[in-house]
Amino acid sequence: MTDPSPSMQRISQLASHLTRPPHPKTFLRNFTSKMASNNNSNIHLYTVGTPNGIKVSILLEELGLPYKVTPISFSKNEQKEPWFLEINPNGRIPALTDTLPDGTPINLFESGSIMQYLVDRYDTEHKVSYPRGSKEAYEVNNWLHWQMGGLGPMQGQANHFFRYAPEKIQYGIDRYQNETRRLYSVMEKQLSREGGEYLVGDRPTIADFACWGWVAAHHWAGVSLDEFPKLEAWLHRLLERPGVEKGRHVPSRHTAFDMKNKSEEELEKEAEKSKAWVQAGMKADAKR
Amino acid sequence: MNTSPGPNGWKTIFLLEELSLNYEFKSFHFDDIKKPPFIDINPNGRIPAIEDPRTGLTLWESGAIIVEQYDTDNRLKFDDMIHRNLCNQLLHFHMSGQGPYFGQCGWFQHLHAKKIQSAIDIYANEIKRVLGVLEIVLSKKGDDEQWLVGNKMTYADMAFVPWNFRLSEVLMQSWDEVFEGTPRVREWHEKLVELPSWKRALEHRVRLMDEQRLQWNGVPKGIETFADYEEKIEKGEMKYD
Repeated sequence: MTDPSPSMQRISQLASHLTRPPHPKTFLRNFTSKMASNNNSNIHLYTVGTPNGIKVSILLEELGLPYKVTPISFSKNEQKEPWFLEINPNGRIPALTDTLPDGTPINLFESGSIMQYLVDRYDTEHKVSYPRGSKEAYEVNNWLHWQMGGLGPMQGQANHFFRYAPEKIQYGIDRYQNETRRLYSVMEKQLSREGGEYLVGDRPTIADFACWGWVAAHHWAGVSLDEFPKLEAWLHRLLERPGVEKGRHVPSRHTAFDMKNKSEEELEKEAEKSKAWVQAGMKADAKR
Repeated sequence: MNTSPGPNGWKTIFLLEELSLNYEFKSFHFDDIKKPPFIDINPNGRIPAIEDPRTGLTLWESGAIIVEQYDTDNRLKFDDMIHRNLCNQLLHFHMSGQGPYFGQCGWFQHLHAKKIQSAIDIYANEIKRVLGVLEIVLSKKGDDEQWLVGNKMTYADMAFVPWNFRLSEVLMQSWDEVFEGTPRVREWHEKLVELPSWKRALEHRVRLMDEQRLQWNGVPKGIETFADYEEKIEKGEMKYD
């Protein structure tokens, strides 16, 4: 059998997109009867209420954009279904689809890349960004990549060894909790500069939104904010913003702050719920 | 340009070479990157970082440094919105999906004193999964456009090279085993490591590591494990001429 040509592939992809019935759980955000379609904009977010997922919903709410949301179910392994892999071959959330001004559909994945796309295209007044090519814009990029390559993966590994791993490996727990603490101290230092309310310049940017969900989930990783007063103040400063408040609850209620009030036993139960699919997912990936 | 032996600095050098830009090296010993003057350049105390005296701009995080401002002819990037974003998302996939997990695998495989098989397995499986994702990306493209984005090599392709070329060591497998089931990734990778710019970057690497008297894994010659190295740093026993 020969592979179909790229153009045939594209046509069949488009066709499968068109004939696909809408996901039963899809819902609309910020749509009003007045809101005319903004130069073909047709934002559809596929997400779960995790630190990576809420980065994008927080930004969409901050920008006041209308968008469709489809919650993805990890326990049903929906992120590995063929229709989702068409959007993101990596099988991870979040993913976002949109239509460009000339009508071309675009699929986006990787939360950092999605955020850059959204501000690039929609934040023309630079409410939460800086003009392309400015010093601050490059600095935002430093911190965004720092979050994507450092804070996210390392705190994620702390979660893994502290909450989900089938066997308790103290070295793994210590290694990643210490690295998370080190990364928090880097933010603490940056926020300690004169007038340092946000990571870059004088306004919140995608660098702050990218880090926010992770810092908010510090307790789950077993790391305390007690040594990081500036970071804690930053966390609550951002929480006061209506966009952050709305966005953190998409597609379901944000529960990171509830964790502090739970006993270790209750937290263990919480982790048990996810352990089964985390480990099943890892086994399935290992077989590929 | 400030760097040291780990893979991330070589992404930037590969690009500087490919774009034939003028640059000057400042190479740092591992135990010097958490203190001034380096920490004044990058508060995160990690390499690489670049300073451009022409613009006064200082950047760190290898993914951020790249082409945006220097590749004025779009040789290694695209200008239109679709391809620009596709490159960017693959760079992010590299930064968040490849780098950290390959790095953790290397740590547990080679640098950590005690062998913890389950930790090695987690990250080795993740490496295989990442290669599988790249195989999917390449298999959706025509035979004459075997690059991650569009029909030419971009910085997105180049970002994967410094880690991929260490895979045989990191996984402790032959190249045939490394690329089992991902033939398109293999072909793509082998094409990239043949580039003169990559070969020049590697020559710099060999020279600098030799100057710093380092073994291939970044540990000074004469020291067995990374734990011993850290202990010596802790005790202040690492002195350089």
